Amino acid sequence: MTDARKPSITRWIGRRSLLVGAGSLGASGLVSARLGMPYIGNAAAADPIKIGMIWAKTGTIVDQSEYLAQGGMLALEQRNNTLLGRPTEIVWLDEPNPQGAQQNAERLVGEHKVVGMVGGALSSFALAISAVAKKAKVPYIAANAATGELTGKSCNKYTFRLQPPVDVHVRVLAPYCADVGKKWYLLTAAYAFGQDIKRSFEDYAKANGITIVGADEVPVGTPDYSSFILKIRQAKPDVVIGGIAASDLTTFLKQWNELGMKGRIPFAEISVGNTDLWGVGPDAADGLYTITWYYKNPNNPPEEQAMAAAYEKKYGRPAADKAWMGWMGMKTLLDSIEAAKSTDSAAIVAALEKWSTKRDGLDVHYRNFDHQMVSRLLVAGIKPKITDKWDYFDIKAELPKTTADIEKAFGSQAESACKMDAV
Amino acid sequence: MLDMILSQTVNGLILGFLYVLIAVGLSIIFGLLGIVNFAHGAFFALGAYLALVLAREFGWWAALLAPVLTGGIGMVVEVVLIRHLYGKEPLLGLILTFALALLIEAILRMIFGGAPLPFSAPRFLAGFVEYGPILLTKYRLFVLLVTIAALVAFWAFLTYTPFGRIIRAGSRDAEMVGLLGINLPVVFSFVFGIGCLLAGLAGLLAAPLWTVTPSMAASAIMPAFVIVTIGGLGSYAGAIIAGLLVGVTIAMTIQFQPEWSGAAMYVLMAAILLVRPRGLFGEKWERFE
Repeated sequence: MTDARKPSITRWIGRRSLLVGAGSLGASGLVSARLGMPYIGNAAAADPIKIGMIWAKTGTIVDQSEYLAQGGMLALEQRNNTLLGRPTEIVWLDEPNPQGAQQNAERLVGEHKVVGMVGGALSSFALAISAVAKKAKVPYIAANAATGELTGKSCNKYTFRLQPPVDVHVRVLAPYCADVGKKWYLLTAAYAFGQDIKRSFEDYAKANGITIVGADEVPVGTPDYSSFILKIRQAKPDVVIGGIAASDLTTFLKQWNELGMKGRIPFAEISVGNTDLWGVGPDAADGLYTITWYYKNPNNPPEEQAMAAAYEKKYGRPAADKAWMGWMGMKTLLDSIEAAKSTDSAAIVAALEKWSTKRDGLDVHYRNFDHQMVSRLLVAGIKPKITDKWDYFDIKAELPKTTADIEKAFGSQAESACKMDAV
Repeated sequence: MLDMILSQTVNGLILGFLYVLIAVGLSIIFGLLGIVNFAHGAFFALGAYLALVLAREFGWWAALLAPVLTGGIGMVVEVVLIRHLYGKEPLLGLILTFALALLIEAILRMIFGGAPLPFSAPRFLAGFVEYGPILLTKYRLFVLLVTIAALVAFWAFLTYTPFGRIIRAGSRDAEMVGLLGINLPVVFSFVFGIGCLLAGLAGLLAAPLWTVTPSMAASAIMPAFVIVTIGGLGSYAGAIIAGLLVGVTIAMTIQFQPEWSGAAMYVLMAAILLVRPRGLFGEKWERFE
């Protein structure tokens, strides 16, 4: 036996080492952002056009990011990885936290010379990337973030947002919640997205005679909701309004069911992803939701149906809403580069402002005054009996219906906090 | 309000037991081998995924094999990687196990994808029981019983069996134990495997409650480190007391200041270390006192 086998080395390791190491683990996302972040594309081709993609590879939103990234890559593959007759590649970097997202956006612009960026899985990440886009004058599509601030007071000429903002989701879902009951409990995430939801539902409640019987802000990454659920149970609300994202929602719904609350108090939440419910499982899935897109919606245009088929063929599972958002965000950027016939930022921004497509009679486009995409939302409930492990939702409505309703839901230019500079 | 406090306290204690189970394996590996195992959370996730696969393929009871498999993988890892670190610069251990954590997470993501996968408790553990204001689910009671049984069994193993005495002696003076003709490398592999087995057991028990994703390791590793630090590095009893303390602290913070619940355990750790730098049950460390 040699000295090397001596466990007395425990004496060499201090609390400082342990805590420094623990801290470094907390920063693991940042480290991994520097380690092995691959290029996706054709490295052999000379002088390719580069598109930046920033979706999480670590952290709480990584589950959704996988679909967002796959959708983005599919959009480029459908063009044979070519734009303007030149080879084109995606450079995908991580967004472990807002600071990491900002640093990687700066790397994409400074180091990789990308002509545009897509990404920002969480609102806080998207706001950080948007700030870089504005400073560097590079077009940026925020495909998943829903905070109103992004196309509100923090808007800028280079940032375009695909997901309808929180206020729009709330205006669509809140009347359904009011029909269920007049005592609401709010359970929202303790960051921009959740705080927007809380404010927006509180505003609706105030204007419509609804009582908020409890409101908790939940830290991101909370692994156990049982103590929150005990509080909700004691408050006896008619409906619980959720505002927690991704795997946090999955965890909550599992524990909601475990504590016998499923079916006892209705649960509703805006802007959920298919993957959140797939992870919950058929036994525990419950709730009423707004969703941005559904692969089984018969109103999906042929191009989107083709995308869904291509995705399923490639990945062996249906295209989640996040796959569509990643695809659509990337597609609008790629379409606009082609339309601009240039990789010049100002030309791409101008083309994005002109980009549009038809969807069930609606002109889907980015509004010029705030760069918010105008589109409809789906109101969906969980099927009473789930027989297909992917098909969880019954679509109840696709709203807003008319152009006037859309303006009312999205708000007019006069109501917008966005004051946009010129390019 | 008193009802609510009682209800939250009981709930926090049960949550604390799950944290104890996660932390105690980390504490054992550190206390006996001197390795700060940053991959502990990854073994926790590995246990959850193995349980999921076994349950899907062979039924829920087969999932009980997941901790054993996790322990076995841990022993292989010890033989291939960890044992080369004994007696070396401690930072190497930190870096290696950190890299191992990233590797395990990447492998899980490559095989299963990043999306959460459904995993439910068995039907016979569905439902809950109520005692006045206290609400307990049958599954959490099951977690509580399994955790207590595992902790008692390991304590008895260390205290009353010859192999347990060899482990304890080896942790004090490995050279002398080696001179007695005992094959310490095997003993240390076994200890590392036991630590990983406990992480895998925690992963199995947490899978029906938490979200099964490759990133679930992060939900386990930080509480584990905080608990081990509060309890005193390497202290078995310390990990148990600290785990329960952390569980109750989180539950109470959710009751009164929910937005602070994520930071509550770190504040608790800072407060305890200010008063008692070696942790609640830590040995006296000359460099700190």
